[in-house]
Amino acid sequence: MTKKQILLNSLFTENAVWRQILGICSALAVTNLLMNSLVMGLGVIFTLACSSFTISFLRNYIPNRIRMMVQVLIIASYVIIVDLFLKAFLPNMSKALGPYVGLIITNCIIMGRAEAFASKNTPVNSAIDGIGAGTGYALVLLIIAFFRELFGFGTLFGLQVLGAWWTKWSIMVMAPSAFFMLALLMWFVYTMKTRKAKN
Amino acid sequence: MEAQKKLFSETKFYPIFFMIIITIICVGILATFYHLTHKRVQNYQLVQIKKQVLETFDLPTETVSENYQKYIKMQKRDTITFYEAKRENNVIGYCFPVQGSGLWGTIRALVALDRDMSKIIGFTIVEQNETPGLGARINESWFLDQFKNKQIFSNNEVIKYALIPEDEKASKTEIQQITGATASSRAVVNILYNNLVEIIQKFKNS
Repeated sequence: MTKKQILLNSLFTENAVWRQILGICSALAVTNLLMNSLVMGLGVIFTLACSSFTISFLRNYIPNRIRMMVQVLIIASYVIIVDLFLKAFLPNMSKALGPYVGLIITNCIIMGRAEAFASKNTPVNSAIDGIGAGTGYALVLLIIAFFRELFGFGTLFGLQVLGAWWTKWSIMVMAPSAFFMLALLMWFVYTMKTRKAKN
Repeated sequence: MEAQKKLFSETKFYPIFFMIIITIICVGILATFYHLTHKRVQNYQLVQIKKQVLETFDLPTETVSENYQKYIKMQKRDTITFYEAKRENNVIGYCFPVQGSGLWGTIRALVALDRDMSKIIGFTIVEQNETPGLGARINESWFLDQFKNKQIFSNNEVIKYALIPEDEKASKTEIQQITGATASSRAVVNILYNNLVEIIQKFKNS
């Protein structure tokens, strides 16, 4: 596979959320505001790219039996760096996201890519794969957040777009709507795919 | 050389050795990074507290450190530390740190009372770990501003504000709660009530 193919493959064809159904928990949790989703997405992209690169770089030295321990250690280190970075330079964002930044460690997309891709491929390709998978994840978050914030608060990135006439849909702010939105998104992607395949 | 290295990587000790080395490297990098950002974080937190104290009194916050020195004085009575705000030798009010448990962790806040300690003049959250997008919205100004100018007493008793849905109009003793975050909204009201009762009691005694 060429580098472009790796990127497109992990971004769309094998998208972590709508194809592999990974990383659902955090995708549901932070998506009622676009800004939170964006920062979360960027955090995951950074962590995925760096951890995939590092794990791939060490892949021939990591003893097979303890590889998961090593992967978690490396992932956790990068996540703490993200957390410290937010605390120091984007304190308001850090306040708003609270414990979710730390929970990037448990995002299964990251370990999934480490196991499925980084431990078998070269560092540069792994980093590209990580950026692809992370962007795919961020994309899903932003799509869901777009609708949830628009209907739930009448705003986009905190800016009022729908006037006072708009009745806010409280359900869009709460957790259940994330499930609906995610299911609708998967349905949409699946339908488009099967239609394409038929033609 | 090649053969020997391979041998070592096949021994039982290799995984332990590897784990120790990689842990040291990771921890080393993190410690360095922490050290580099620590001062910045601490400075920010210090300024932030000062800024929030000023904000609860509705004092200007353009030059935080200067204004803080000009208006605010830290006081201590009994076991309570609080901030006293003065403008031209007239006391504006008192600001108290309050805290209690939220849904996921401790919520720390600041509440400013007027000079007779009869109404709230400002309320702000210092630290919280509520759910982002839901409970974390206790940080939003529309929610916090509701506490402004609320009376503390009714018939000589501290009022425990009642919660009502977000789109209903609140009376003097009511607070609009956050949709989808009942627990966090209730926690804030309870923390305020419990702390105010304690503060008032201690101040009455002395």
